[in-house]
Amino acid sequence: MYVMGKREFLSLFKGVKSFIVIVILLLTSYYSAKFANVLMSGIELSAKEAENIHTVGLLGLILLLGQLFVAGLSHDTMNREIHERTMRFLVTRTSRTSILFGKFFGIWLFWFSCLAISFILISIFAERIDFFIFSQVLSLVTYQICLTILLSVLISKPGFTMFLGIVVGLIFPIFGFWVVFTKNVWVSWMKFMTPFYYLEREDYTFLVIFILAGIMLVIANLIFNRREC
Amino acid sequence: MIAIETKQLTKSYGAVPIVKGIDLIVEKGEIFGFLGRNGAGKSTFINMLTGIIQPSSGTYALLGVNGPNDDVKERIGVMPDYSTLYGSLTALEHLKFLSALSGKPAGKEWCREVLTLVGLEEHARKKAAKFSFGMKKKLGIALAIIHDPELIFLDEPTSGLDAESVLRIHKLITWLQARGKTIFMTSHNLAEVEKLCTRIAIMKEGKIASIGNMEELRSFHRSTIKVKIKHSPIPVSEQIKLQQWLESAGTDLEMKAPYVTITVEDEKKIAEIIRAIQQCRADVLRVEVKEPTLEDIFLEE
Repeated sequence: MYVMGKREFLSLFKGVKSFIVIVILLLTSYYSAKFANVLMSGIELSAKEAENIHTVGLLGLILLLGQLFVAGLSHDTMNREIHERTMRFLVTRTSRTSILFGKFFGIWLFWFSCLAISFILISIFAERIDFFIFSQVLSLVTYQICLTILLSVLISKPGFTMFLGIVVGLIFPIFGFWVVFTKNVWVSWMKFMTPFYYLEREDYTFLVIFILAGIMLVIANLIFNRREC
Repeated sequence: MIAIETKQLTKSYGAVPIVKGIDLIVEKGEIFGFLGRNGAGKSTFINMLTGIIQPSSGTYALLGVNGPNDDVKERIGVMPDYSTLYGSLTALEHLKFLSALSGKPAGKEWCREVLTLVGLEEHARKKAAKFSFGMKKKLGIALAIIHDPELIFLDEPTSGLDAESVLRIHKLITWLQARGKTIFMTSHNLAEVEKLCTRIAIMKEGKIASIGNMEELRSFHRSTIKVKIKHSPIPVSEQIKLQQWLESAGTDLEMKAPYVTITVEDEKKIAEIIRAIQQCRADVLRVEVKEPTLEDIFLEE
C-alpha cells in the first residue's frame, strides 16, 4: 500500500494539470486572505464569519470547483491502468485492496499537502490557523476523492470518466446545494448523501462526510476485487 | 513438491465456456510448456492462476497455497501476454517500483544484473515509451524475475524477439530452472517448447488434449512414423508382391529405387518392413526413422 501510495503521490506532482491546480489553490488562498479586509468592509458579517473571512476564498473554491479539480487530476486513476493493462503488473504482485487504498492515500496525501500549504499561506495574513475549517475542507476533499475513485472503478473507459468528471464536477455542487435547501420531499432525502448538508452546520457533523467517503471507498474496493484486469 | 495444482478449474463468460474443468499438476523445478491454438484458453488459464481473473468454478493451489491468496503473490513472477508498460518510467524505475510492490525491493546491482540477463543493460535509463516491442518483452521477463520468485509464468516470452534474443531468453530459462525455479510458459514456437520444456500440455477448446514429456507424447499419441529405407536392387518379379504388402502395412508409400519411403503408425511395423524387403532377396542398406516432432503432434490435435 505504501509503495502504491508513494507512486501515486509523486506522480500527481508531475504534469501541467497538477501545476495549474496548485497555482489556482495558492493564488486563491493568497489573494482571498490578503484582500479579506476589503470584503469585511463591504459586507455585514457576524463575529464568527469575520473570524473566518481569510479562508472564505479557498473554501468557496473547494466547494464549487473541488470536485472538478480532483476529477481532473485523478478521474482515470484506476481505469487507465485497467485499460492499458498495466494493472496486470500490479494485481499479480499485491492485493487489489492494497492497490486501491494505496492510490487513495497517495491522492489524499497530495490534497492534504496542497491544502496544508494553502492554510499556512492564509495563516500569514490571518495570524492563526483554523483547524476546524481545515478539517471541514479536508473532509470535503476526501469525499470528492472517494467519489472520483468510485467512478474510475465503475466506468472502464478513461475518456468517459474525463467527460463525466467535468459534468459531475460542475453539476454536483449546484445539485448538492439545491437538495440541501429544497422543500421537495422526493429529492430532499438526497441531502444526506451529499457533503454540503453536513458542511452547512457549524458543528462536528461534518465528520459524517468521512463515513460517506469510507462507504464509497469500500464499494469501490468490492467492485474492483471482482473486476477483470 | 507441487508448484501448481488445479482441480476442475473452469472459466466461462456467460454461457460460453473458455476453460473447461482442467485438472493439472506441475512439479517444482519443471519447465512446463502450455500449447494450444489461438483462443484455446491458455492465457485465460494463466490469468486465473495469477489472479488477473477469477475462476467460475474449480480450485487451484500455487506452491501449496490455495488460491486466490495474496500471500503467495510475492513468491510468483508473471509476464502477462500483453507488453504494456508505464511509458514514463525507465527500465530501472520499472524494476524498482514493481519489485517494491512485490514486497522485495531490488537493489541497484540486482536490477542491473537482471537487465543484463535479458539483454537490456544498455537501456536501463531509457523510458519504456521509447522501447521497441522486443525490448518491452524483455523488460516484461525482467519484471517477472526481479523479485526472485519460485514460480514464474511466462506468456509467450519470445514472440516478436530476434534470433539472438530468443537464444538469450532460452539460456535464461534454463538458468532459472537450474536455480530451482519452476517455469510455466506458453509459446507458439513449438521447437522452443520441445527444446526447453520438461513436460508439455496441449490445450484444445478449453481442455487438455495431451500431456506428458516428449517421449510420452510420442508414445501416447496416435502420431505416425516416417521410415525411409535404402536397399539393394529388388528383382522385378518381387517388386509387385512387395508393393502390395507395403500398401497394407502403411501409408504414403513411395518406391523409387533404391529407396522405399513409407509412413507407419506403429514402430513394430518397421522390423516387419525390413524383413519383407529381405524376403524379396534384397539387402537393407540404411534405415532412417523420422520421429514425430511436437509440431506433428500439435497439428494432429
